[in-house]
Amino acid sequence: MKVNLSLIILVITTGFIIAGSTAQIGEKAPDFNLTDSNGKQHSLSDYKGKYVVLEWVNFGCPFVQKHYNSKNMQTLQKEYRDKGVVWLSISSSASGKQGYLSAAEINETLKEKSSQPNAYLIDEDGTVGKLYDAKATPHMYIIDPDGNLIYNGAIDNIRSTNVEDVAKAHNYVSKTLDALLTGEKVEPFSTEAYGCSVKYK
Amino acid sequence: MRIRFIRFFLFLCLLTGITYAQNLFGGKSRVEAGLIAEEISVQPGKAFWLAISLQMEEGWHTYWRNPGDSGLETKIQWELPDGFTAGKIQWPAPEIIREEHLVTYGYHGMIYLLVQLTPPAELQTNQPVLVKARVSWLECADICVPGETNVSLSLPVKAETPELHPAYMETFATARTKLPLVSEEWQFQASIENNTIIIYAQPPDWMKSEIEKAVFFPYTTGLIKYAEEQEFSLSGNGYRLVVPLKEKAVTPDTLAGILFSESGWRGPESEKAIEVVIEPKENIVITGSGDALTSIWMAILFSFLGGIILNLMPCVLPVLSIKIMGIINQAHDNSARPWQHGWIFTLGVLVSFWVLAGILLILKAGGAHLGWGFQLQSPVFLILLSVFMFLFALSMFGVFEIGTSLTTVGGRTNGKHGFWGSFISGITATIVATPCTAPFMGSALGFALIQPVWISMIIFTFLGLGMAAPFVLISSIPALLKFIPKPGRWMESLKQFMGFLLAATVVWLLWVLGIQSGATLVTIVLFNLLFTALAAWIYGRWGHLAMPKKNRITAVSLALVILALSNGLTYANIDNFNQAPKDMHPQDDGIQWKTFTQQEVDLLVKDGKPVFIDCTAAWCLSCQVNEEVAFSSSEVQQAFKDLNIHAFKADWTSQDESITKALARFNRNSVPLYVLYKGNPDKEPVILPELITPGIIMDALKSIER
Repeated sequence: MKVNLSLIILVITTGFIIAGSTAQIGEKAPDFNLTDSNGKQHSLSDYKGKYVVLEWVNFGCPFVQKHYNSKNMQTLQKEYRDKGVVWLSISSSASGKQGYLSAAEINETLKEKSSQPNAYLIDEDGTVGKLYDAKATPHMYIIDPDGNLIYNGAIDNIRSTNVEDVAKAHNYVSKTLDALLTGEKVEPFSTEAYGCSVKYK
Repeated sequence: MRIRFIRFFLFLCLLTGITYAQNLFGGKSRVEAGLIAEEISVQPGKAFWLAISLQMEEGWHTYWRNPGDSGLETKIQWELPDGFTAGKIQWPAPEIIREEHLVTYGYHGMIYLLVQLTPPAELQTNQPVLVKARVSWLECADICVPGETNVSLSLPVKAETPELHPAYMETFATARTKLPLVSEEWQFQASIENNTIIIYAQPPDWMKSEIEKAVFFPYTTGLIKYAEEQEFSLSGNGYRLVVPLKEKAVTPDTLAGILFSESGWRGPESEKAIEVVIEPKENIVITGSGDALTSIWMAILFSFLGGIILNLMPCVLPVLSIKIMGIINQAHDNSARPWQHGWIFTLGVLVSFWVLAGILLILKAGGAHLGWGFQLQSPVFLILLSVFMFLFALSMFGVFEIGTSLTTVGGRTNGKHGFWGSFISGITATIVATPCTAPFMGSALGFALIQPVWISMIIFTFLGLGMAAPFVLISSIPALLKFIPKPGRWMESLKQFMGFLLAATVVWLLWVLGIQSGATLVTIVLFNLLFTALAAWIYGRWGHLAMPKKNRITAVSLALVILALSNGLTYANIDNFNQAPKDMHPQDDGIQWKTFTQQEVDLLVKDGKPVFIDCTAAWCLSCQVNEEVAFSSSEVQQAFKDLNIHAFKADWTSQDESITKALARFNRNSVPLYVLYKGNPDKEPVILPELITPGIIMDALKSIER
């Protein structure tokens, strides 16, 4: 429609700004408030000034199991927490669906798997999951100290449930965090998350 | 006999494959895999088909090659005898599986994944071959479990042409109907616009049945928003599908996937999926009557709107306001029918638009390379127009009055003379509008001119109608006049103010002239305007009717002599002082612009160098804005430097045959035009939109192969 282009510009001198309320890559990550498995409240804004990793989790999902059985996720959690990154695991599984655990069960599972996120947040009604458009488990997000969403997507580039693939894969999360922590400029980007669907209500 | 029977039974067992299905957690899998062959024996060197069957328990599904928002494609790892090769999996068309706001592509029930195997030509015929495969998948209901099975099949090798296995003939035939149709007869095109991929599908001529709705499933992951609605519509003789892309999706050079429709791509009951492999273009022109019609409606609408907007341009507003003042005067006189004047004015506008378009079309038909805005490429026209506008402005200021009053451009509307006056004002309005149409509507009218003649004429007609519309409205509905104050001093003030708008237009015309022909000619034209003003002053002071006849004649003659001499000398000397400045755009935007030559561009493109061409003109307002906005961005400048892009500026401010031809190569005849050659001689260049931002340029540059 070449005809109307310049005319449209004439007619509509004010542009439309499509401002989505959901998480957009490169934009401010939406704030949220969730309770963790110890009953403590966490907001994204509490962690302003730090890099924050959001990890959507469902321990019943074979893709999540791949990264926990291989100790990949635990290693990442420990490594980056040591470097000052805040790691928040979030479960958006609805009550009665796969991956939904009571607070006590969560703490027991975390202990058993030696998983040590800063907090395991319970998003039972899926509000935050939908706010971030979390599609799969695992689905990873990286937020910079200014609260901008730098990365949204898969944990790594090999779609599989096979533990052996972990070592061969290019891990987007660790590569991005390494770059960010060494002061490199990272252009915000996204990949397609892979895994089980998030078990929303 | 019994032994033979047992052997036959065992043989059949082997033929149907052996499954050891189990999921990775030790429990029983909900999916059972099998392996069957289409033929009962293998002939050395002759390719044959196998099928991996997946039988899913009710409620469970497995995935397609692109699983969508979650899930995992089924994989087959072959373990083949020496020399055997396996082809790719032939995936049946998947179904859309919706789960909340997530969409995945997969299968329920029973599916067959067909794979072609090719045995080596030197295969021994005396012993059977064993074909093994490890099939792995993800089976999901509301939860997901990975599954894996080893399947194998022993096949006898025989020299003769193999026979089809009677038990599987139907299985294979049915499985094939579920594969996407691969057809040369359907024509597909795709373009990428506004973060969507638009797929155009043109059916073969013989196709009588309609496609009711279609959905695109891409082969690659990470490209589209699976859960979003794909907008399907008729387009010309074909169909159009808008597929939303993910934010910041990297669009592949080749778009591959399937289009799925319940309607069947070869008529009812035929294949529901068709394979699509296309190279998306940034800009495509679709032919086809229906589409042309919808775009004509759009063109009509927008040319009408554009015409209305023209009235607000500094060139046209004065004419219109004088005309309306005439109507007000006359309305209060109550002596004639204003609506008639409205229509006559409209006719005047239309006739002049038709003449203008007609001249253009005739010149074009005669082989002249012209585009809209051509008027402003000629110094003579620019000077004439600036003198005309300047005189007009002076008369608005009250330096002189044209004729006895403003009969010709507006004022009186009595009798025949008045009708003629309305007609003339229509023409005047169009003429004074021309300098304004070029900057604001150059590309729109450029588009009009490359359409078939009747479309061009329609577009010009509606532009004229739009321009005349406000006047027709006011003159036809006297009630509207009630909102306008009674004639009085304010009209004189308004008129004088309008004079400044015209003067501003003159400044602009002279600026364009300066770029085309240099400062000397502009100075000469300014002198010409000075003498023109003098002539106008003499005429206005001593030439009006109140003066004695003798004085009047002297004044008029003197004014005419001065006007003629001054203008005559100016026009006679245009060529002498017409020095086109060498560097027309002394821009310090940090990009090394070179003057465009087709040869140089061709050479660089052939060498695989990235080339950017900016076709611009001083009189093209959108070009100026683009240059200011897009090329002044330091990010863009840096990218041009980093990618070593050869930047060319094709300045069309003056008529230039080579640039007109270059534009024509891209089916354009107007500026702006931005072309990016990505450094691959085999690839078509990308045409950027007419309004560019640093973001658009950066996105386009991203795809350059370093």
